[in-house]
Amino acid sequence: MKISELGEAARIAIEGLQANKLRSFLTTLGVVIGITFVILMGWFLNGLDAALESTVNLLGTDVMYVDKWSWSGGQNWRKTMARKDITYQQALEFCKKINTAELSLPEARKWGGTIQVKNKNITGISIIGVPFSYANLPAGTISYGRFFSQFEDQYSTNSAVLGWNVASTLFPDGDAIGRNIKIGGRSFEVVGVIIKRGNMMMDFVDNQVIIPISTFFGIYGSIGRSVSIAVKAGKAELMDEVRSETTGLMRGIRNVAPGEEDDFSINETQTFRDEVQTLRLSTWGIGIGLTLLSFTVGIIGIMNIMFVSVTERTKEIGIRKSLGAKSSSILFQFLVEAASLCFVGALIAFVFCSALIFVIVQFIPQADFLTPYVPPQLLLIAALVSIFVGILAGMIPAIRASKMDPVEALRYES
Amino acid sequence: MNDNPLIHIQNISKVYEMGGEQVFALRDISLDIYPNEYVALMGPSGSGKSTLMNVLGCLDTPSTGIYTFKGLDVNEMSDNDLAEIRNREIGFVFQTFNLLPRATAVKNIELPLIYSGVSSSERKSRAIKVLQDVGLGERLTHKPNELSGGQRQRVAVARALVTNPSIILADEPTGNLDTKTGIEIMKLFRDLWLKGNTVILVTHEEDVARYAQRIIRIRDGKVESDEKNTVSQYSQGTE
Repeated sequence: MKISELGEAARIAIEGLQANKLRSFLTTLGVVIGITFVILMGWFLNGLDAALESTVNLLGTDVMYVDKWSWSGGQNWRKTMARKDITYQQALEFCKKINTAELSLPEARKWGGTIQVKNKNITGISIIGVPFSYANLPAGTISYGRFFSQFEDQYSTNSAVLGWNVASTLFPDGDAIGRNIKIGGRSFEVVGVIIKRGNMMMDFVDNQVIIPISTFFGIYGSIGRSVSIAVKAGKAELMDEVRSETTGLMRGIRNVAPGEEDDFSINETQTFRDEVQTLRLSTWGIGIGLTLLSFTVGIIGIMNIMFVSVTERTKEIGIRKSLGAKSSSILFQFLVEAASLCFVGALIAFVFCSALIFVIVQFIPQADFLTPYVPPQLLLIAALVSIFVGILAGMIPAIRASKMDPVEALRYES
Repeated sequence: MNDNPLIHIQNISKVYEMGGEQVFALRDISLDIYPNEYVALMGPSGSGKSTLMNVLGCLDTPSTGIYTFKGLDVNEMSDNDLAEIRNREIGFVFQTFNLLPRATAVKNIELPLIYSGVSSSERKSRAIKVLQDVGLGERLTHKPNELSGGQRQRVAVARALVTNPSIILADEPTGNLDTKTGIEIMKLFRDLWLKGNTVILVTHEEDVARYAQRIIRIRDGKVESDEKNTVSQYSQGTE
């Protein structure tokens, strides 16, 4: 194979595409759809992984949460409903007794709270009450300002730490520190802002306000409110040890008789991994199925049109062979043509997906964890896949072309 | 005339299998062609002259017999070797021109150079040069359908010449041309011969064959006669 033939093959392929625009386009539809599936699937899984990663980082791989509810759902709903709340007293007792954990703390939450700034009401804010030590959890990482102090915590001051969205919505000038907001009619001073999180599974954390837990109970009361307990093992390797102590302690505190099921759940970031894994597998399953189906259709279409192209150009093959083209040159020429056809399909798919993805991210709020563009590595994958499909589809027609007898081919009249 | 023949064929036959029957297209043909000869292969249709031309042009191989080209045994060659010989040593000119319809004159002429791996810039300059040599320097970017029959055949001749082959093999080169244009093309071949090229012409027309220096008559796959041209049409050209 000579370099000069590569250019010639590419030139012929492009000429062929230009000469039969509509035919080429229709032929590539199967490949366009196949590549579209590849891109969309890759894009979605990519976004999912990124979201999972930031969720895991946010919660910490060495942190578990003791809750009335299980994050993964799936358990018997009625049974979970019937569980007793985890009270603040139980949580405090647990935190006092646990030995293996580096840190543990209670966390009380009010969903759909309202805050006021001047005369503006903002609803749908999650308000959580925690002790000052929350600052040591990944979720308590400060962007600017500070977390409230032990002193402020002890004396139930009205200090507030804002989630990123809350801060930027209320104080678009970028400085929330020292400003006042009202929660439950009380005035709070903003002391800090949590770093931006923003992802699919945990986007509420950007919309929350953190206040000292005693202040929280002062406003919302503790009756009918299940507290959750964050337990930080310190190291991921210690999780098993901490989990077993946690289970034992909680069963003791909540008087669970031996042989009975736990009446609480221990939630970990692993739950998210498992859930994402399930989602990933089903995406793969559906995606691969659809992709293979459309590629099969695409390959048959391209193979068919390549047979037509080879027959149409029998004479040309004869001419080229009489001028000294080797079988390998003819083979190569038709493979390049088939691959180019598919590559054009990939380009069409790419343009289509870019538009589709932009619209999806723009108009579907739930999809905002996904990137508004096609990740560049997918572009490369799509290009390679399309070329591979082209070679696969073009192989048999190209072999047929390359094996033509020059005398017979020259005699052919279309 | 050199002592070493360019082409040496000895007792070659070509047999086709047709409906279980053996058909001899060539029977026991022997001949030598020397450098700078101008040979006409003559014969009626079905005589086997086209088969002989295909064999001489390394497009086809004989069933039996010896064929050496510049001393190389063609029977021993692989398909790739044959392609290489066609590319470097043989320039074909066909009755139906056989130009690629979508390519310009220059691109058509560049084709054999592409398969011998000549760089793009050199291809172009060599193609333009031969196109000028055949008197079509003004038609570089024209496509075949924008050229007259005579012009197309000139492009085909230029394509045959561009690799500086040892032999130019022309199969009924005037068959699709009117008489006047045919004469122009024959003059072109005569000029090429006078410049030192070896030309083999396949034809069934006496008028055309008379341009050659040696006429080999083929009938029923056999050489009927092989003699020097006495009715010297080619001498007309030198007037």
